[in-house]
Amino acid sequence: MQVSNITVSHDGKINHVDNVSTIIPRGKITTIIGPNGCGKSTLLGTLSRENKPQQGQVYLEEQDIVQYKPKEFAKKLAIVYQQNQTPKDITIEKLVSFGRLPYQSMFTNTQDADNEAINWALESTNLLEKRYTDLEALSGGERQRVWIAMALAQKAEILCLDEPTTYLDMYYQLELLALIQKLNQTYGLTIVMVLHDINQAIRYSDHLIMMKQGKIVAEGAPSLLTAKNIKEVYDVNVAFKHDELGAYIVPLGV
Amino acid sequence: MSKKAMHFSIVVLLLLVAIGYAATTGSIEMGFFEFFTHLFTEDSRMEAIRDLRFPRIIVALFAGAALSVSGVLLQSVMRNPLADAGVIGISAGASFMKLFIISVVPTLFFFTPLFAFLGGALACFLVFALSWKSGLNPLKLILVGIAVNAVFTGLTEAFISLGGSLNVAATSVVGSNLTMRTWDDVIVIASYGMIGLLAAFAMYHWCNLLVLQDKTAKSLGFNVARARLMIAAIAVLLAAISVVVAGVIAFVGLLVPHIARRLVGYDHKILIPYTALAGALLILVADTIGRTILPPLEIPASTIMAIIGGPFLIFLLRKE
Repeated sequence: MQVSNITVSHDGKINHVDNVSTIIPRGKITTIIGPNGCGKSTLLGTLSRENKPQQGQVYLEEQDIVQYKPKEFAKKLAIVYQQNQTPKDITIEKLVSFGRLPYQSMFTNTQDADNEAINWALESTNLLEKRYTDLEALSGGERQRVWIAMALAQKAEILCLDEPTTYLDMYYQLELLALIQKLNQTYGLTIVMVLHDINQAIRYSDHLIMMKQGKIVAEGAPSLLTAKNIKEVYDVNVAFKHDELGAYIVPLGV
Repeated sequence: MSKKAMHFSIVVLLLLVAIGYAATTGSIEMGFFEFFTHLFTEDSRMEAIRDLRFPRIIVALFAGAALSVSGVLLQSVMRNPLADAGVIGISAGASFMKLFIISVVPTLFFFTPLFAFLGGALACFLVFALSWKSGLNPLKLILVGIAVNAVFTGLTEAFISLGGSLNVAATSVVGSNLTMRTWDDVIVIASYGMIGLLAAFAMYHWCNLLVLQDKTAKSLGFNVARARLMIAAIAVLLAAISVVVAGVIAFVGLLVPHIARRLVGYDHKILIPYTALAGALLILVADTIGRTILPPLEIPASTIMAIIGGPFLIFLLRKE
């Protein structure tokens, strides 16, 4: 995906994303990081067409994303939001089957393809045994996996995730990130996500986009992070450490 | 037999019993056996039943089904378990327009259902527009709805007060009594009602999808606005048509779907037909009780529904 000079404002006064251009590399895990209100979720929302840019374009396969029909776009890009209301009395399989909506129309029978995609989505998120369970009976971490399964059923090449780990405990955070990594490595999905935890971003991403006040401050491989640019963006002093898993930061203070 | 199939069988059975009881009980009594043997004869009592009681029963059935399904649709579209055409003013809007047309431009009498629909749609639009900002917060929506209801009810009452000069027996227009329904009424409510009920059933998949948050539904390529508009339009049609023929009956659309969800679950493919049957049963029973409890006096079905429904709404509000 190619982002070209986009400006997005929710209220017409402040530019939440200010004249940003970047490229989302295909088949890689890209993570957008930055402090609260820096425009990272707005940028993600613009890639997924939730927000319309006032200026600039986003291109997917050389075509401006506004030109796609809603269902065609949903076949190319799926998004999982941070928090989802839990519908009552619905099985996991049923919810995941909603991901097939872009393929369904009144006149064609898509049942075989639907079943295949649903099975694949349930299998790759480890939910096969729970397919007939009610969503309400699951824990928060498992529910997040169900929403990812629904997005997978869309069979889109690009998967966006808005702060997927925010409300989860440590176990489910790591489980979810491992799942995302697996989806990327095994099925070649392009991942674009927003994370708050810099250490998770370093460890699980191929490509980082660092934002502050609506602008991209730095982008590239995780190794681009330095104590200096973190201080600049987050206004936090950190120390960089290295061990056998790679680099990590230790926050020292503000 | 599955639990759901059992619930369906029970409601169908009760419906048949209620129809049988309603047809044979009242100012003209007839035994079940006698009723069936005389069903197609020229018997004078039978003719009275055919002309007076049958239309009343059919109108009650359709009004109950239409109002209940209207409630299911409104609750889905507004994501609010408390939405009901009678409570949030849609019925009052339809009722006001009906009165307005009949008393001011009686030449358009034939188009009463259309104008009632427009009145209901206006009320529905107002409720939506005025509670949109709160994110369709359930309690706020109900408060807005009660206000809209009060305005249209007030307009209707003002009209009735002026009615003397317009030479119209306004109370017979807005009253929600099911007495003296004719086969003409049956044709109106059965035709529009059937169209509305079938259209409602055709919407079941969309109703199910509306449990998703708007942005999630949109990301699936689902046209949320179009679905909302169409479902709301069908809900208003169903409410308006029962207002035109049977008057305002509140709380049916609240009570029946709530109980139905407990019994058969949240899947609209099953919920919509079940609600239609249960709603038909409830109004028929309410009307039959109303006319047989203290003969020759009659308590309108709407009064009975208000007496049961009011406490039920309080119960639901406390649970929210």
